[in-house]
Amino acid sequence: MQMSNEMKSVAREDRIAAMFLHYEVERFYYDEAALLDSHRYEEWIELFADDAHYFMPIRRTRMQRELDQEFTKPGEMAFFDDTKMLLAGRIKKLRSGRSWAEDPPSRTRHLITNVRILKDDGRTFEVESNFHLYRTRLNSEETSWIGSRRDVLRRVEGCFQIVDRKIFLEQTVLLSRNLSNFF
Amino acid sequence: MALANTEIDELVSLERGEVDRRIYSDPEIFELEMERIFARSWLFLCHESQIPEPGDFFQSVMGRDNVLVVRQRDGSIKAMLNTCAHRGNAVCRAEEGNAKNFLCTYHGWSYGIDGRLNGVPGFKTFYDGQLDKSRHGLAQVAQVASYKGFVFGTHDASAPPLEEFLGATGRLGLDQIAARGDMVVVPGIQKFIIDCNWKIAVDNLFDWYHPQITHASAFQPGVMPTEAPNAAAREKIDLSEVNMDSGAALDLPATGISGTKFDQVVVIGEYGHAIGGPTASSSGNGVFDQTWRIGAEARAALGPVGVAVAGHPNIFPTTWIAVSVQLSLRIPRDPGHTEIWWFTFVDRNLPRETRDFMVTIASRVFGPGGVLEQDDGENWAQATAQTRGIASRRMKHQLTMGLGRGKIIKEGGLSRIEGLTAEHGQLWTYHSWAQWMKGLSWDELKKVTTPGEFI
Repeated sequence: MQMSNEMKSVAREDRIAAMFLHYEVERFYYDEAALLDSHRYEEWIELFADDAHYFMPIRRTRMQRELDQEFTKPGEMAFFDDTKMLLAGRIKKLRSGRSWAEDPPSRTRHLITNVRILKDDGRTFEVESNFHLYRTRLNSEETSWIGSRRDVLRRVEGCFQIVDRKIFLEQTVLLSRNLSNFF
Repeated sequence: MALANTEIDELVSLERGEVDRRIYSDPEIFELEMERIFARSWLFLCHESQIPEPGDFFQSVMGRDNVLVVRQRDGSIKAMLNTCAHRGNAVCRAEEGNAKNFLCTYHGWSYGIDGRLNGVPGFKTFYDGQLDKSRHGLAQVAQVASYKGFVFGTHDASAPPLEEFLGATGRLGLDQIAARGDMVVVPGIQKFIIDCNWKIAVDNLFDWYHPQITHASAFQPGVMPTEAPNAAAREKIDLSEVNMDSGAALDLPATGISGTKFDQVVVIGEYGHAIGGPTASSSGNGVFDQTWRIGAEARAALGPVGVAVAGHPNIFPTTWIAVSVQLSLRIPRDPGHTEIWWFTFVDRNLPRETRDFMVTIASRVFGPGGVLEQDDGENWAQATAQTRGIASRRMKHQLTMGLGRGKIIKEGGLSRIEGLTAEHGQLWTYHSWAQWMKGLSWDELKKVTTPGEFI
């Protein structure tokens, strides 16, 4: 509600600019998801800035009054705490032909929704999106991960780069045997 | 329900090096494990550094009992069952936090952080003041004790004291972390569920035969983050060019992560504790820094034999001390599901940068996203699944590598076997498992899990 009220007060041109930006960001995420789901990891990693940080904190069931401590923070333990170099290492691993958890490869589908641009200084954007990463493996294994991503995107030469990605899962005890896919 | 001791002996044969696959999927055996192992053994609960302040708690698991480990006002630690004395509801639902009291949300019985029953709604009007509150506190875990900050509990009041239970082998295992400095747990315990039997996960921690195959994809330059300062150590574990079409084509001595000579040492101890893996000087230990052992304090704590032992300890039944300065619990949920918990340790006095590096390495190597462990789970799940078919189940698991050739050297209070990669650590664990499953007295159990001359 608040958003739409804000939108009313801004000039028509600005609203069109916001819609266009939103469209660009969504397109970026759809293209990214398509790269992941078709296992085009070498192209996917090119979407990341060289100094990118890829972080999935650990979430803990805490009482409401302690919810500020629900997620771990950088410097604490995480499920993923990667640099671009490490992500490249993971791709190399997947391509080795001996990455048994992904050979035969899982089938994945990334559904990206609820895209919201939270901050925009013209060059960098803080964007929240929801995801549903659905995976099946072998004949009967099924995993669903639902959560949100908070990205810092940077506009470089007309394209976006992912500078920072934080992935928040709706799970505390991870209900899957591994995390051998990208979010 | 109860298996006769002769039937248990049939399940594990030290002579033949065989394990019956039923132990990985039979629900009756699982129930018996809950009773005879998990309701008796000392079990790791948490580290003291996780609960520094009065009221700080960490919820842990003993068998299928949920346990609240709580720091008291006098600095001591209590562990109690997370179940209301009235109608059994859990009195705490958070995994960790700080509590002033524990309130049952069913009828409102409330307990102090020491577990004492303080408040009963309607105590005067409904109970007529006739309830003896002193008899209805939260049930205390029978024994709770710490070894160098590692908190353990046992449901068995007659269990030997923790230090005696650990023995030299178990203590050496925990010292692999404790002797590195003023160790604290980094916030964030990774928890995840693998669809495997818990013993397959425990068996694997001693297994230095699997890394070059299971983890071949991780042992390439640029995949496995390493502490090793020199490129030579890193290149030793480069398996990217090795032909894996056939196991016979694998030139193990040149490529094994446990060293060009496969110099291994296995330590086995009373009650089933064991340590298995490379010696500290083995070239296969290039991934993790072993220089901390040089310090005088570390040498004193580890002892003259222990200082060279750098493999993976398991405190029987389920506490693994990993070389990555982490502790991993393998918590049985049912015959086919195991919850894995990873506790990560750092020296409180490390510079920020070093500490951050150790923390990031931990999440990259082990845990569900770790480049090593993601492939382990795949094997364990399939190995567990293939224990269910009637025909598959007739086949025994084979643990014959080095069988009968492990000469046990007794020195410095430790029993060790030197040599190449073998399966003595696993054999010792299964042998001890069978003895635990017989429900022996503590004295008898110790006797039959005391190492002999050979294994």
